[in-house]
Amino acid sequence: MAGFGVANERLRALEELEREIGASLQSAGSVILELSKEKPQERHLDRQAAQFGAAVAKVEAELSAQIRYLTQVATGQPHEGSSYAARKSCQLALNRLDYARRRLGELARAYEVMLE
Amino acid sequence: MAQPRVLPQSKETLLQSYNKRLKDDVKSIMDNFTEIIKTAKIEDETQVSRATQGEQDNYEMHVRAANIVRAGESLMKLVSDLKQFLILNDFPSVNEAINQRNQQLRSLQEECDKKLIALRDEISIDLYELEEEYYSSSYSLCDSNDLPLCEAYWRQDFASLSPESLSMPLAAAAAEQSVVTSQSSTPSHPHVNGHGAGPAEHS
Repeated sequence: MAGFGVANERLRALEELEREIGASLQSAGSVILELSKEKPQERHLDRQAAQFGAAVAKVEAELSAQIRYLTQVATGQPHEGSSYAARKSCQLALNRLDYARRRLGELARAYEVMLE
Repeated sequence: MAQPRVLPQSKETLLQSYNKRLKDDVKSIMDNFTEIIKTAKIEDETQVSRATQGEQDNYEMHVRAANIVRAGESLMKLVSDLKQFLILNDFPSVNEAINQRNQQLRSLQEECDKKLIALRDEISIDLYELEEEYYSSSYSLCDSNDLPLCEAYWRQDFASLSPESLSMPLAAAAAEQSVVTSQSSTPSHPHVNGHGAGPAEHS
């Protein structure tokens, strides 16, 4: 949902890190593949090796940052917040609306019966 | 500068273990990759025959490549554990999520109640007009057992109504109708319900 901004941002950052880990392994594989050729191209090798190094460094830095943030905010206590009260009030309001609709439906049916 | 936080031992230990896993996995990836690149270098002089050396290098590269993949998977598991830890222990974002949910539910509730109140107001206006019509018609002129419109409707639902609660509106309605009846000369058009015993003038 668009509303859960901050929470989703961190989770999306972690998902991005997962993709980055996959990309780093892929770069490592392409470097080794290039090395296995008879005539490896240096530029391609250098580019892939640089990509691998950058990806691993980025993963390490961002995961360290996430762990540092968690060290700061984690309290060790379970979170006892809840949206139950608001949900119950909303449910009761919807029940009121439904009840009013049913009563009006009954009134309309009674009216039609009397018209006949 | 962040103040030193006192975390429970388990949480502190857990976060330290996450750090350790991260460092170990990244080190494993880098070391094994570096060793593979070094092994790819062809030596002119070898202690064993070239074929044996080749086989050895091949096996070593396989193992190191498997180590790189294992370290990568371990990093993925670490990310998954961090996500879980974040969802459970990131109180600022959990609080924000709860507040936003509460806000949404409250606004929905207010909208429902607003619509109900608007409906009530409209129906009360229509009810007023209906009562005006009813009490000015011939069907309201009759005996004292006649009930006001709203009472007649509600009586279908409530089987037991105390006599005291009925007599008040009855008296009020009777008094009102006696004034109206004396002024009206012709009965109004027949009411749909046909309520009451026909036009009977109270004098």
